[in-house]
Amino acid sequence: MIGPPFWLSVKVTAIAAILIFTIGTALALWLVRRRPRGRMVIETLIMLPLVLPPSVVGYYLLIVLGQQGPIVGWFGIRTLFSPTAAVIAATVVGLPLMVQAARAAIAAVDPALEQAARTLGCKETMVLWRVTLPLAKRGLLAGIVLGATRALGEFGATLMVAGNIPGRTQTLPLAIYDAVQTNQHDLTTQMVLLMTGLGFFSLWAVRRWEPASKGRDRP
Amino acid sequence: MSRLVVQARRHDARFELNVDFSIDGGTLVLFGASGAGKTSTLNAIAGLLSLNDGKIQIDDTIYYDASQGINLPASQRRLGYVFQNYALFPHLTVLENIAFGLGRQRDRLEHARQWLTRMRLKDFGERYPHELSGGQQQRVALARALAPRPRLLLLDEPFAALDRVLRERLQAELRQLQRDLSLIVVYVTHSLDDAFAVGDHMAVIHEGHVLQQGPLDDVFQHPVNETVAEIFGIRNLLRARIVGSQLDWLGLPLHTEITDRDRDRDRDRVSLYIQPSEVKIIYPDAPVAEGLGDNLFEAEIITRQRHAAGWSLRVRLSNDQNIEIHHATAAYNELDLAPGQKIRVAMKREALQILRRGDSA
Repeated sequence: MIGPPFWLSVKVTAIAAILIFTIGTALALWLVRRRPRGRMVIETLIMLPLVLPPSVVGYYLLIVLGQQGPIVGWFGIRTLFSPTAAVIAATVVGLPLMVQAARAAIAAVDPALEQAARTLGCKETMVLWRVTLPLAKRGLLAGIVLGATRALGEFGATLMVAGNIPGRTQTLPLAIYDAVQTNQHDLTTQMVLLMTGLGFFSLWAVRRWEPASKGRDRP
Repeated sequence: MSRLVVQARRHDARFELNVDFSIDGGTLVLFGASGAGKTSTLNAIAGLLSLNDGKIQIDDTIYYDASQGINLPASQRRLGYVFQNYALFPHLTVLENIAFGLGRQRDRLEHARQWLTRMRLKDFGERYPHELSGGQQQRVALARALAPRPRLLLLDEPFAALDRVLRERLQAELRQLQRDLSLIVVYVTHSLDDAFAVGDHMAVIHEGHVLQQGPLDDVFQHPVNETVAEIFGIRNLLRARIVGSQLDWLGLPLHTEITDRDRDRDRDRVSLYIQPSEVKIIYPDAPVAEGLGDNLFEAEIITRQRHAAGWSLRVRLSNDQNIEIHHATAAYNELDLAPGQKIRVAMKREALQILRRGDSA
């Protein structure tokens, strides 16, 4: 059955994408505009999930989300082996790609345009909505597509914190693993092709949105 | 009439800004070399650059007052600012750019369209800025800055990137707008042509300080010191010492009369300059013309260069000072003005301008 894991993947990815977009954009704005102390360390920490083995990311998440962890301890929210854990795992691994793209896109916005908006009566939030974000749009789109695709493909950390419970936490990548283990060749092929198609499409879209040349940056 | 008062102080590791000037209506040209602090001054007025001390006020609106702890954010200063590279929003159409500062007014697009017509951009409202020529972009930037009806307009080298014909036309349009809307305009430039085309007053700025300000012609014709003269590109600065009512200049007697007003300017040391075109070459055999005989020098030609308007010579005077001479292409045809040649030059009394002693001397 391809249905349940597919729809679960869609749901998990959609929620993760929203989180990746908002958290990633906010982080990128903070890093570029506020230039906080220890920026390099913070950026490196955000990027770490890109290079760490999924099992390491999964282990950290187990500590944070587990019985002894702060989420249960402070908020009393139990998330392990639930779809929520799958969302969190997907968000953590997708975030670096979003932050990276958003940071570059926001840094590329000419500060003179933001200055101009201020002299024309815009307060800071309006500057953001009317100038900075629209001008960084292509980069933000590229970031969210890459981040969401990475979230969709998340396997290792999800397995460790959300498990592989069919109908509850079994997303497409986990279902593919199961299908291979149980020799369901046709099902495997379908799901593998589906994942490949989605990956291809997202990379292709990102290539199209990449600002090809500076200056011609209109929608 | 409106009045703008600016006293802006800012110190940081790299740069010190300490400017002081005021203007009652009309156009003030902030003149100086690049890096002198002109743009920083505009940014301080606009609230885009934070200050340590000072006061900026237009009529009874206080933009900034360190002593009262007032610092109006840029978004509330309600002034027009035309940035050096226009800073038009590339993601908005020309019409949306012009309407940008009109907030949520219901008739904002209507109002923006009137500006399109006024700036001869009627057919360009739906285009994007990069589809316009430089002069059109410039007019969009002006319209965008003026649409919210500011009292004060700041312009940062607005016509620097345009060709001469277009520049002259826009300069005239700017003057017209200034009069029609009775704006106070602060105009930053390093071009004297620009300054004379648009300005009423001038403040000369150098290393973050205003060295001189006043009516444009006054400032240009009577630079207060050598630094200002150099900023204006004045060549042939000479040092001299006043001897009684005559000038003695490095041991050479000069029979130039000094008026009392000039003498009051400094004790006994003065600088003076002469425009390169006012230095005349004397034919060896011909009698010296009336008015030229007072300041005659032996000189040796160092270099000679051709320009569009004529020739320029660098010569070394007998007292080792170098000066520059400009003359028309057809002049002095019979003389051999090759480098190494000895000539005689004369400086007309009236052409010698006396400056106060320069700070940078």
